[in-house]
Amino acid sequence: MAFISLHKVSYTYMGRQKAAVREISLKLDQAEKIAVTGLNGSGKSTLAKLILGLLKPQSGNITLDGRPVGKYSLVEIGEKIGYVLQNPNQMLFNTSVYNEVAFGLKWKGKSKKEIDYLCKKYLDLFELWDLRAELPFNLSEGQKQLVALSAVLALQPRFLILDEPTKSIDTFRKGRLKDILQEIWRRGTGIMVISHDHDFIAKFDDRRIHMAGGEVVEDAG
Amino acid sequence: MQVDIRTKLLIVAIFSVLALTYQDPRALAVIFLLNILTLLAFRVSFNIFVSLKNFIFMYFVLMIIQSFFVRSGEPLIKLGGMYLLTTGGILYGLSIILRFLILAGSGLILVDHNAAELLLGLVKLRVPYEIVFMIQVGIRFIPVFIGELQNVFNTIQLRGVDLRKVYKRKVLRVYVSIFSPLLYSVWQKAEKLSILLELRGFRRFPTRSYYRDISMKKSDYVIICLALVITAALVYVCHKILTL
Ligand SMILES: Nc1ncnc2c1ncn2[C@@H]1O[C@H](COP(=O)(O)OP(=O)(O)OP(=O)(O)O)[C@@H](O)[C@H]1O
Ligand SMILES: [Mg+2]
Repeated sequence: MAFISLHKVSYTYMGRQKAAVREISLKLDQAEKIAVTGLNGSGKSTLAKLILGLLKPQSGNITLDGRPVGKYSLVEIGEKIGYVLQNPNQMLFNTSVYNEVAFGLKWKGKSKKEIDYLCKKYLDLFELWDLRAELPFNLSEGQKQLVALSAVLALQPRFLILDEPTKSIDTFRKGRLKDILQEIWRRGTGIMVISHDHDFIAKFDDRRIHMAGGEVVEDAG
Repeated sequence: MQVDIRTKLLIVAIFSVLALTYQDPRALAVIFLLNILTLLAFRVSFNIFVSLKNFIFMYFVLMIIQSFFVRSGEPLIKLGGMYLLTTGGILYGLSIILRFLILAGSGLILVDHNAAELLLGLVKLRVPYEIVFMIQVGIRFIPVFIGELQNVFNTIQLRGVDLRKVYKRKVLRVYVSIFSPLLYSVWQKAEKLSILLELRGFRRFPTRSYYRDISMKKSDYVIICLALVITAALVYVCHKILTL
């Protein structure tokens, strides 16, 4: 059974004439590696938000692990899917980089020692450990994005949805991110990367979903 | 019928003043009735109430709770020598609810209107352009801020905090942790905006031109006269009611 399954899902934003996502049907497996591409405004981010239950489709249905997405609380969805927004500014709300990564771990009831270990491990991935005491808002765009990513990775979700993860990241860290995601995937985490960056997704198109005008126009892999 | 924004502003002002002047629920009920009629006459859609229903419900609950704490008039429910609910409390709660409905209802008259015309109306009423501009920015940015706040709330829950279940004390901590960065980001945006404005020549010249124009028609003057007459009648009726 598919981990995520969409059946004829359509979504139109309030006050809009045109549907942002139109009659999309998809099945995604838990251990899959998927690249989603498409022009600006083709509905990629909307698709991600629908899967996460952040938007409710006007028609069609979406199931996650065999249950309708609407039946889960956001917390339960967060336990299954890690999600990094296109705009990292809207994901950072702690007073230090360290706390940003520690936030979810604390609420999971991990011990101080475990939290310390995981924070160091995940911040080290992108060489951010030295910035641990900084205010996340004062970092560069790329650094913010990596902090948001580390915070999600540290929770070790079963499936990852990354919306434009490489937008303002330098070539070196981009390569790093590619390797890390590859490694995470090998250990059993499914990954869906939304990106325009053809260089980056070259390694992720085991399956490539191409969107245009709110529809899936190509699904190959 | 196209009604000028200034006419609408006047009507909103009248309702607001009336709602804040009168305290007696009977007088407020009459004003509320008139308010509904006005909304119907302007063909305002009530959809917004549907999307605000949670907020309105919370407001009502608060008012009901508050009416338990006002002790005046006749006691209605007594519990072991303590007055729990009094007629004064009920009347107080009622008048607050009516006031809220009148203020929210008259605001609806404007919601339907094009924001650009509203701002132009204010300019023509000689409100300083800087203030009008701030209102404009406010109108544009409110949905953006709400969206951002929503994203932060979503992120928090996706990272494992069930806001409906955590203890009160901790909820407070979560809220504090959200609001400080949010304020910071708002402040940063304001700063960026002001720089952008300077760069694009805001207030380089003492006046600016407007693409749209608004004009008062005969019908507007009729409506204004009507509004004033009805207001006078209303004040008279309320005066009668209150001296009964
Ligand atoms: N909050 C919103 N309100 C109204 N319309 C929206 C909103 N968000 C997106 N849209 C519209 O929905 C359509 C799809 O947007 P979406 O963000 O899903 O595109 P995208 O494929 O992620 O684009 P990009 O590559 O630029 O990130 C666009 O036409 C966009 O204008
Ligand atoms: Mg997008």
